[in-house]
Parts: sequence; C-alpha cells; structure tokens
Amino acid sequence: MARRFQTTVRRRVTSAYSVHGSELSPNLKHVKLYTNECFPCRSNEIDQLLNLFKSKEEPYPCSVYVYGGPSTGKSSIIKHVLKNLKINYVMINIIECYTSKNLYEIILNKFSGLHVYPLNGQPYTKCENLMEFTYQLKKISSIINLNGSVLVIDKVDELRDMDLNLLNALLKLKELTGISLCVVFVSEILFEKYVSRSNVCEPIKIYFPQYTKEQLLEIMKKDYNQAQHLIVNNFQKPIHFDLTFYHNYLNVFLSVFFRACKDLAELKHMSKVNFIKYCDPINQNENTINDSVTLWRNMAPLLKSSLETLYLRVLIKNSAKSVEIQSKEFLFSKEKLAQSLELPYYAKFLLIAAYLASYNPVKDDKRLFMKFHEKSKKSIKDVKLKSKVSEHYNTQLGPKMFSFDRLLAIFYAILDKKVGFNNNLLVQVSSLVELQFLITISDNCSLDGQKYKCNINFEFVNTISKMLGFNIRKYLSDFSHM
Amino acid sequence: MSTPSSDVQKIRCYLKNQLINNTQFIGHDREKKQIFDLLKRTITHGESNSALLIGPRGAGKTTLVNNVLQELKDLKYFDSDAILVELHGLVHTDDRMALKSATTQMNLDNAVDGKVFGTFAENLAFLLACLRTGEKHTSKSIIFIIEEFDLFCNHHNQTLLYNLFDVSQSAQAPICVLGITCRLDVIELLEKRVKSRFSHRQFFLFPGQEDENKSNLDLYLEKIEYYLKLPGSLKISAASKKAWNSNLEDIMNEKKFKNILQRIIDIDLSVHTLKNILIRIVVTLNENRSSLSIEQFQEQLNILEKDETVQVLQDLTCLELCLIIAIKHHMEIYDTQPNFEMILTRYTKFANANSNMQITQRNVVMKAFEHIEKLELISKISGNKTQKEYQPFSLLVTPQQISEAIKKSHGLPTEVVQWANSSFA
Repeated sequence: MARRFQTTVRRRVTSAYSVHGSELSPNLKHVKLYTNECFPCRSNEIDQLLNLFKSKEEPYPCSVYVYGGPSTGKSSIIKHVLKNLKINYVMINIIECYTSKNLYEIILNKFSGLHVYPLNGQPYTKCENLMEFTYQLKKISSIINLNGSVLVIDKVDELRDMDLNLLNALLKLKELTGISLCVVFVSEILFEKYVSRSNVCEPIKIYFPQYTKEQLLEIMKKDYNQAQHLIVNNFQKPIHFDLTFYHNYLNVFLSVFFRACKDLAELKHMSKVNFIKYCDPINQNENTINDSVTLWRNMAPLLKSSLETLYLRVLIKNSAKSVEIQSKEFLFSKEKLAQSLELPYYAKFLLIAAYLASYNPVKDDKRLFMKFHEKSKKSIKDVKLKSKVSEHYNTQLGPKMFSFDRLLAIFYAILDKKVGFNNNLLVQVSSLVELQFLITISDNCSLDGQKYKCNINFEFVNTISKMLGFNIRKYLSDFSHM
Repeated sequence: MSTPSSDVQKIRCYLKNQLINNTQFIGHDREKKQIFDLLKRTITHGESNSALLIGPRGAGKTTLVNNVLQELKDLKYFDSDAILVELHGLVHTDDRMALKSATTQMNLDNAVDGKVFGTFAENLAFLLACLRTGEKHTSKSIIFIIEEFDLFCNHHNQTLLYNLFDVSQSAQAPICVLGITCRLDVIELLEKRVKSRFSHRQFFLFPGQEDENKSNLDLYLEKIEYYLKLPGSLKISAASKKAWNSNLEDIMNEKKFKNILQRIIDIDLSVHTLKNILIRIVVTLNENRSSLSIEQFQEQLNILEKDETVQVLQDLTCLELCLIIAIKHHMEIYDTQPNFEMILTRYTKFANANSNMQITQRNVVMKAFEHIEKLELISKISGNKTQKEYQPFSLLVTPQQISEAIKKSHGLPTEVVQWANSSFA
C-alpha cells in the first residue's frame, strides 16, 4: 500500500510541476496591485503579508498569527496572496476537524494531494497522533519537497478544545519536523487568550483592524453592478440609477446601521434587503429618482424597523411591503409558539404555578395566595425592601428553585376548581420537565425532595395565562416595572 | 547613495536566512562547555549521567544542545561509540510511543519484532542489552535528549523517566539522559522514586546573566551585530556592503537607539523576541528602502508596548461598546457579576434617555452581547447552570483599557463618551 501511495503522489507531483513550470514566476508588483484591487482598504495588511512571503528563495518565518474581527478579509486575503504568489499551500478550517486525528489526516492528504474517492478509499493516509503526523510529513516531504510550503489554519481558537499542547506543537512544527514549513494561524481573538505568555514562542503577528465607516462605504460602492441586477430582477419596470444615487443610499443606510454593526458580510446582506425598499417609491411612481430628501424620509422608519432584525436573517419575500409585516411576525413568533402549544388544561396551570414559584420569594406566598391572610405590618425591613434597586429584582436574577410541595400548593391556590391529587397530575409535571419548561435541579434518585426551576420567560407565561383568562400580574411581587 | 535592487535582495535573503535558519548558538560558553563535557564523558568513558537544562522559552536551549551535538558528531568516534535518541514531549505523548520511537532510533526494530514483553522495564532492558557487547567500555553509549521534559512527567507513573534514571544509576549500560525544559519547578513534578534516582545536576540558561562584566544592553547589541552584520563572504558589491555595515554601526552607536533597545530589554530579554523584531524589520527592505533606520526600531517598540485589548475594544461597534460600559458600571456600583438581563436594563435606561441611540431591540442586543463574549472580552462564570439571560458574566478588560479605547476611537456619540466616564446616565 505504501508503494502505491508513493507512486500516486509522484504522479500528482509531476502533473503539478508541469502546471507550475509552464508559468513564469509571479510578478510581485502585479500581485500587489491585483490584491489591492480585489481587497480595497487593506493595503497595509497586504503589504505585511507580501513582505513575509514575497520571495520563494528567502525563508519564511516559522509561524505567523493573523487576527482581527469577523469579515475583515483575513482568510480570503491570505488565500489570495498565497495563490497568486504560486506558493504551495494548504488551507484548513478547524471547524471541519472535530478530532485531532481528523486534523492530521486532512493536512497530510491535502499536502500529498490525495482525495477520498467514494468507491475506493485508497490511497488515503491514516494518522492517529502527532508522532505519526511528523513522520508522515517527513515522508511526504521526501517525495514532494515541502520546504517553503505554507499551512494555513483557520479558526485556531477551536484548537483549545482539542488535544493539550496541540497549538504548541503546531507553533513549533518546523522544529519538530525539520521541514521549513510556515504555519499561518487565523483567528478572531488575541494571541494572549491561548496560553500564558511565558509558556509559548510568540509568532509574528499581523492585525486586521475593522473597517471604518468611510472604508465600508467605499467597499460597498463596488456592489453597484449587483444592485442594478437586483433592481432588474425585482421590478418589472427597470430603474436607471447612477453611482451617486447608490452612494446616497449607502450613506443613509450606514448612518443607521454602522452603530450596531461593523460586520461587512452582514451589512452587505442588509443593504441588499433595504435597497429594494428604498427604490420602491420610484417603482410606484410616487417619487422621482432625484428626490433624495423624500426618499430618505420614506426610508428612515423602514431602516429603523429593519435594524431590529439585524443578524436575525428573517426570511424576506420579494414584495417590499410584506417585509415589515414579516419581520414583525418573526419577532412575535415566540408568542405564537406559546399559543400553538397544546398543553393540557392542568399542565398550563402547573406551568403558571411553577413560574410563580420561581419568581416570587417564599415569604410572599402567604400574602399572595391565601384568602384571609393577616394584614401585614409594615416594618422598617419592609420599607427597606421596597426601595431595593432594580438590579435585585427577581426578573433580573433569574428563576429560583422551588420544591415540589410548593409547586402543588401554589397550583391548588390559583386553581378555582377542586381537583384530586392523582397520578395524572404527577405525569404532567414530568412531561413539563421533558419539554424543558421545568428543569430538575436535584438528582433523580431522591423521590421526595425533588427541586425544580422554571425555564420560560415572562412573555411566554403571560400568553398562556391570557389564554386561560388568568391574571398573572396580580400574583407577581416584583413585576410592577414590566 | 543607493544600493542596487539585486544587492538589496541578496542582503535581505542573507539576513532572513541568518535570522530564521540560523542554528549557531551564541553566548553561554560555560554551560555549553559543561554539557559538551558531560556528553563526551558518556561517550568516551562510558559514564552514566543524568542532567536537566532549564531556561525560559526562546532562550536557545534547543539550539545550544543541537550545537553541542553537532560538535560531538564531528568527533570521529561518535558514530561507532554512541547512539543518539531524541524524544520530544509534544510528539511522544505517551511512554509507549516514546519507546517505539526510541527503538526505531536505536535501529532495533528487527530485534524487537515479534517479541512480547511483560513490562515496560523489560522492554527497555532488552533494548539496552542488545547494545551491550560485553564489557563496559566496549559497549555503545546512548544519549537520550528529552525535550519538553516536563510533559513526560505527566505520563502514567512516569515509567519512562523512572526506567531511564534507574539505568543511569545502576551502571547497566552507559546512558546519558539530558532533559530540556522551561519549567523551573520541574524537580517538584518528579515522583519521589524518580527524584531519588536523578543526579540533580541542573544547568540554567537565563538570558542576560551570561557575563558579569558586560551589561545586558551590550550583550544585546552584540547579538544584533551578529545577526545583521554582513560578512565578507557574501557575494555583493563591496560598496553596498560597506554602506550597509557602516549604516548599521552608525545606528548602533546612537544614544536614541540604545534607549529603544533598553526599553525592549526591560520588556522581554529572550532571543526569540529579538529575532521576531529583526525579522519584521528585515522583511520590509526593498528597492526604495535599502537601509535600516531608528524609526523602524521605534515602530517595533511601539508594537511591543501596545495593548492589543485596547485595539480590539476600538474595533467594537458603538452598541457593543455601550454594553461593555454598562457591565463596567454595574461592577463598579454593586461589585457583583451582572447577567444579560441586568445589562440590558441598564443599557435600555441609557438608550431611552438619549434619543440618539436607536437600538433597543432585545434580540439585536443579545447578538451584540454574544459577539463580545465570542471575542472573550467577557466570560461566563462557570458552575452556574441557568438560562442564557441569567448567566452571570465577568468582565475581562480593565476600566483603564475601556477609557483608553474610548479616548482613541473616533466618531462615538458624545453621550457614550460621557456615559463611559460617569455612571450617571
């Protein structure tokens, strides 16, 4: 099998070389210009990368750490640069590798150019641990020269959940294998979040800062053609607009969205959604294309409402009018869930009782649920409690746990009818637990002292109690502010 | 005076090689000599030994040992008298693997093939016996270089270490065990029975303690000169070489440069950091910039001193920054760890007071909250299993960092800046 593996690799290599051999060595200036054109506003970062990798004759540093916020172009720029410099590189994403074995195998197979074929599993390198990994890597390097190759590892933060010291080993891959292989790490978090500083060799770091508002505007302006297509696809009557019109729109759009979001991918998505709405008055002949003030006035409330669905990716249909309704619908979908949920009559009361038990202090039970309770005397303690700050409200602290007895007591107190205590009730409690509306706190073995917590929020329980015609606010001690 | 671009390229290539592929160790002559003598005694006299080489990361421990081994390999009797076994704590993650690798490195795969061993010790004893050819001085000596020695201490029962030290004590076969580690407390990690078999010979490799007559700055300058000075053998025109070297000398003599270096030394003394700084400077050399300048070093010092967390905070959106501020205020006022509900209430109170802040939708705020959690600016307090909204969080950035980030970032609404400075919204 080993022999077969070698010949396959060799075959692949010769084919790879024939491709590379025919092309001239990449022109650095050309690559630089081209990359800057593809990725505007990143010239500083591109320069740093190119400086490290520009010449194949010169050695690369053994590890580079690239970090920065989401969608700042880290991975794509690295890929673009390495590809255009014609460097032999392998790019993997840790998200794809759920175990370290998986990681090793993917790296090895990508370096040797092997694939898994569905019918024929061979040849495919198997690798269990780091020792085998270094051995195999050396073996591959003896066939294909891996010196001057680059290994790019994306989402490195996931490495912390994998084998201990794996990051350490990857940082030192050059030392461990003796191959001058450069490892580029890509991540969103700071390097110091990985290990204590003293315990690891620091790589060379490159930071990708988030785009500024002006830069975002410039980048999004490049979507002008796409926006035109969008209009053509969505309206029967084509609207002809120029770049300044689109620029104005983006300006309006960013003035609302920039404070909440700097993520380019998300902004692009939202701008696409909103651009149709922006153009809708023109389509219906209510406005002319030059009347930017009226357009803006139309748009401002729409943008505000669509800001509420940021990151939520509400499904949008083509017609512009329905967007708003749909987003509203989405926001109230939880309420709908509560309505559509078909719980038995008593189970609903049990759920309400559980909510009351979780969010009311025990000492208030007597006052809230007994018909003929004594008038509570006001003590200094009570006055002090009245003035307690909002941070200590039960709504803010989350549910408290309660015993099964208390749940039953409250259940009988809020239910008008007499109902016998029987198995059916007990079963309903356990089915509420099953549905994750209640969480058991104590372990299952104790039959008597079972403790629970209520796992639903106020909106949910409010909907349910409305359906039953039950006024829940009357029985809550801390909810006056809601 | 300009250097031709081909020369610049050659200079850059040479310097990069010098910095990245260099295996020459400089300084610490005493330790180097001691280790060399120790290993040599094992080879020539068949003396068994064990020792530890301890020093911080990036101090050049591995480079030193590799240098020593290279010198030993140059001796003509090395091949016939000694076998080198290199084990690495990161690679050989358990004793079984380490032994397998050792067998391969001793070229004993054939001898072991098909044999069944009862214990680990038997296996190791067999390996050593294979190498013994009778009398003590005629048998081959084995040198075990154990890198990341501390990781071997975590192995089950420390079997490998126990056996190796045991052999080195009891004159079975001449072996020398040299452990390399960066943990100063490594002796404490050893079990009692292992510790008692260790010779307690330790070498320490701390940067900046090499010579009592010279200051750290001088040593650092020497290293820079070693890395950056062009030798006579480099094939470029004499003029550009001279220009480079004289420029280097000029820079090194300047007071400002020395001040910068002193700052760097105060932060981090290791060779690794120095190399990283020099690499970053050297790679920027090109046709337009063919010589070094003090500004480049100043820039690197600034990078070294810069607080990266502030940078990350600056990159946050206004909404995320507001949440961070809200958490900060909460912790200042109540001295407890807030959860999402509390932060949302505090933020909503602020946003309602200022019409400029438009975002109050719960879901959007939740997303922003999740984002700052993902960036690890805040972290969940473990051991608290409740709903996401009620999970307490702690802030991982300091108030100073927040106020610095707010000072530096532009375009923030004035209300936010004011709010950051005082909790009265």
